[in-house]
Amino acid sequence: MKIFSGKKPAVFQRAEFLSAKDMLQRAAAISVIFLMVHLAGFREYTGILNGTIGSLALGWNLSAFLAVIYIVFYLAFIVLVPVLVLAAIFLAVWQRFHGKSSP
Amino acid sequence: MKSRMKRTLAGLTALVVAALIWLPCLHLFFSKPVSNFRQAQGLSPKARELAARHLQLWTDPVLRAAELNKMRVSNAEWDFMGRSYLVWSLANMSLRDPASKPLYLRTMDQIIDETLRLEKSEGMYFFLMPYAKDRRYLAQPAHSLFLDGEIALMLASRRMVEEKPEYKPLLTDRVNAIVGRFQKSPKMLLESYPDECWMFDHCVALDAIKMADFLDGNDHSALIRNWIAMAKQKLVDPKSGILISSFEADGTPMAGPEGSSIWMVAHSLQLLDEDFARDQYQRARKGLGAITLGFGYAHEWPETWKGEANIDSGPIIPVFEISAGSSGMAFISASTFGDDKYLASLAATLDFAGFPSRTGGRLKYCASNQVGDAALLYAATLGPLWEKVKTGARP
Repeated sequence: MKIFSGKKPAVFQRAEFLSAKDMLQRAAAISVIFLMVHLAGFREYTGILNGTIGSLALGWNLSAFLAVIYIVFYLAFIVLVPVLVLAAIFLAVWQRFHGKSSP
Repeated sequence: MKSRMKRTLAGLTALVVAALIWLPCLHLFFSKPVSNFRQAQGLSPKARELAARHLQLWTDPVLRAAELNKMRVSNAEWDFMGRSYLVWSLANMSLRDPASKPLYLRTMDQIIDETLRLEKSEGMYFFLMPYAKDRRYLAQPAHSLFLDGEIALMLASRRMVEEKPEYKPLLTDRVNAIVGRFQKSPKMLLESYPDECWMFDHCVALDAIKMADFLDGNDHSALIRNWIAMAKQKLVDPKSGILISSFEADGTPMAGPEGSSIWMVAHSLQLLDEDFARDQYQRARKGLGAITLGFGYAHEWPETWKGEANIDSGPIIPVFEISAGSSGMAFISASTFGDDKYLASLAATLDFAGFPSRTGGRLKYCASNQVGDAALLYAATLGPLWEKVKTGARP
């Protein structure tokens, strides 16, 4: 079975920087990480934005750390992922019309 | 090599084009009709969801204690103001949704009774920031207009919905005490903290006096008129024309025009002097309000004033100079003055960056807190209470 062959599946193989595949891989990675921090409940700590502690048990520093992680990946998911996906589509279309295959 | 550079350049170009397309469209995923936030009649969907969360807090003591304790770590005032905004919201909601009035009245009474009990047992410092104890109040015995004004307005709002005889003497005593202190003060300025007076607190207290006049047939219109005339003359920032937010007991300015203050002040003034209120809103909207790529927000200071982030402004987000405190309070003014475009854009920002969390029809904003959500609920429901006083329809 391929999974035991030691060879990475095509989707995980490193693509050329700023190629369509590279952009889609980055978008997927951001989405997966955001999904994880979202499901882990990091959203609850974002009260730090108005100066309220996220959790009395965790304290200011850890609450702020979790909030920053959530905010960074949320913004990346909302702003960056669609841009990466759109850019990948544009590149793929452009390359198709110019007869070049995606690296 | 040339081919690689060409591919990189193509990738960068694609990213720039994609960003130019995506960023202006982003707000469309968060924008909703303004009626989703505030409606002329009845309750908007947002008001219902926010209210459900607050009503849950006041029926679940464990949950309430957890929320209030988190806020009190930063600012004991927020615990108090969260109560005030919720009571004022519930009064408006009772007038908007008479079928639910019994539930709203019960909750208002519970909040008022508990607040009065805490004030009596723990003293006024329980709801003030610790520095209130650092100095002696100039006017003795010590009183905080912050507490007296908001408690009076809570009592008056409750009585506006339905008379409660036990609250009548409580309101009369509180209002008489405030009026007495106004009359004794040479500058008509009352302290909230030692030698520290706030525009916000004066306007709320004057609203309470006006409402008490309406309820009990008294007339303090001369006091209100004189105070506003004094404020126009002495407490306006000359560059922006916006009322300053805080001053010493002799009228010396402490802070300049601030978003975390003026948006609520303009709303409060609407009950006292409608033209001046609208003038202040328009100045604040021009100097502090902004909409970028469809997202509304507010600055804490106009360009003509330099200030530093504090507990009221909240952290200031650089580049756009967005103040969480000012942006939250801007909802109240935009709603008061029917500025639907700004209100809808603020609501889009709230859903984008406020991190809404819904459970079983209850809504809270994780980036906010109980007092922030209560102020949003107030913005979504305000109107009927002021209208009742202005039109003279006695309860």
